Amino acid sequence: MAVATQQLNGLTLPATAARKARRPFPWVAVVLVGIALAFLTLFLFVPLAAVFYEALKKGFGVYFEAVREPDAISAIKLTFIAALIAVPLNLVFGIAAAWTIAKFDFRGKSLLVTLIDLPFSVSPVISGLIYVLIFGLQGWFGPWLQEHDLKVIFAVPGIVLATVFVTFPFVARELIPLMQAQGREEEEAAAVLGASGWQTLWYVTLPNVKWGLLYGVILCNARAMGEFGAVSVVSGHIRGLTNTLPLHIEIVYNEYQFAAAFACASLLALLALVTLVAKTIVETKAQREYRK
Amino acid sequence: MSIQVQNVTKRFGTFEALNGVNLDIQPGELVALLGPSGSGKTTLLRVIAGLEQPDSGSIHFNGEDTTETRVQEREVGFVFQHYALFRHMTIFENVAFGLRVRPRASRPSEPEITRRVLQLLKLVQLDWLADRYPHQLSGGQRQRIALARALAIEPKVLLLDEPFGALDAKVRKELRRWLRRLHDEINLTSVFVTHDQEEALEVADRVVVVNHGRIEQVGTPEEVYDHPATPFVYQFLGNVNQFEGRVKRGVASIGDKHIVAPEHAEAEDSAATAYVRPHDIDVAKAPSGAAVAARISHALKVGPVVRMELAREDTGNVVEVELPRERFDDLGISAGNVVYLTPRRAKVFIDKAKAP
Repeated sequence: MAVATQQLNGLTLPATAARKARRPFPWVAVVLVGIALAFLTLFLFVPLAAVFYEALKKGFGVYFEAVREPDAISAIKLTFIAALIAVPLNLVFGIAAAWTIAKFDFRGKSLLVTLIDLPFSVSPVISGLIYVLIFGLQGWFGPWLQEHDLKVIFAVPGIVLATVFVTFPFVARELIPLMQAQGREEEEAAAVLGASGWQTLWYVTLPNVKWGLLYGVILCNARAMGEFGAVSVVSGHIRGLTNTLPLHIEIVYNEYQFAAAFACASLLALLALVTLVAKTIVETKAQREYRK
Repeated sequence: MSIQVQNVTKRFGTFEALNGVNLDIQPGELVALLGPSGSGKTTLLRVIAGLEQPDSGSIHFNGEDTTETRVQEREVGFVFQHYALFRHMTIFENVAFGLRVRPRASRPSEPEITRRVLQLLKLVQLDWLADRYPHQLSGGQRQRIALARALAIEPKVLLLDEPFGALDAKVRKELRRWLRRLHDEINLTSVFVTHDQEEALEVADRVVVVNHGRIEQVGTPEEVYDHPATPFVYQFLGNVNQFEGRVKRGVASIGDKHIVAPEHAEAEDSAATAYVRPHDIDVAKAPSGAAVAARISHALKVGPVVRMELAREDTGNVVEVELPRERFDDLGISAGNVVYLTPRRAKVFIDKAKAP
């Protein structure tokens, strides 16, 4: 390419001159990259560094104390429980929804697609409130639940429900375009060869979308562990019982225990970094796969 | 295994893909479904396979109604236009798939699967590719693997959708001869879809010409080529010249020229078109009776034949003529000369649109 351009430009131009000739306004690139970098630094790198700086300001002793105290441990546990329930549920739901939408034609398909996007378009606080209205003491099922001594709101089930709701588009959203792009021919081929629906799903469809699926799961998990708004509404903020990690951080921060708050926050930041690395690895793998 | 298609109709929204199609396919036959794109030929193939459900009508295998049989249980081999190989499986696993997904009771043992897959890969002459992945193969190789995969389940019939459509001209010719030989070897009732008339005429025992969701004609390649049943078939199979004229009591008049057309004995002066193949036209240097005068625009020498394009002196319409090289040289004509044309053979169809 470069050689061809040089020849076009009059045979004797040196390589650098040719390159300059192709980019008439080099300063545009410099300015644009500069703006992007400045923005990233201000809104991403500095806050990220601040989290770790604040967390470790009073030394490692305080840091580990803050992360090890019973309320923090309980919050970490609850966060993991919510994610451990929400992610597998949404994995199954996401595969089912994407499979239905991508491989079959039926009435109301676009309505289903819109509904899947609902949690993205609704404020998380509203999502939380919906569950309070349904399962809360004054809600539709409130009296019935109380009669049977079941607690949903201000308890673990409510937190899980809110997390599931907020995170359910991630896997489906990731899989639908991928499955649609791959078409139906391989599934048809499997059917003609005698494979049942389950065999087709397991041996043909899922292996073809495995990287997209993993990508969706990673994003879903990150959101499940980091969700604040919806969970905050249904949690009731009972220390050691119904606080997830993000809620715990807020409480500790409001009590002016900055080092402790940032120590816990650094855990979430670490999670974000791990997610980012995993996501990058999966993306490159996926690209290599789909280029075939 | 014979196949009967009875009065099958299939619509997609307002589009009528198949319109009351009837077709009988004999055991061991190799049949081509030939037609332009959108004619319904692929839909017919998919209905036979069970990939589409007909709106009405029925499909019978060996006299047994299979219309309601699920595609998984129809035991058909289907080769897709774009092969549809499983991209994350090796070639070996692709071919083995149909055996591996069987219920445990009827599934062959692992050594038996290996033996059969390797045997099929040998049959398509690609056993050395067993460990590769589909994306590492050329188009022609993928096509043969798709065929081996379809044959692995020992199907009752083999259905191929545009099997050579995505290949380049040379590979296409090789593969279609190979398919013909393979069919003679395994003798499995086979149906393939194509829009290429040359392919259909060269490979198939019988050709089914499809247009607008209807069957125009069924016959051996000779029958459909030499005795086309409809103007569409005439035009679709090879080049053809059209001469406008009229038919009256079994005689067609094209200008001053009269052609006997006994099949139109009862016609009372209707507009008609005579269809004449380029190689069914005689060329002379001197005018004689009703011969049509035409000026040669081009003369292209292609191997043993000369293809000429002429403009009629009376109407200016273009006429295509094919002459043997020797005949052309004997006449001593070239571009710019006026010659006189006499159709040796013509097929006259009454114009439906203009019929009284």
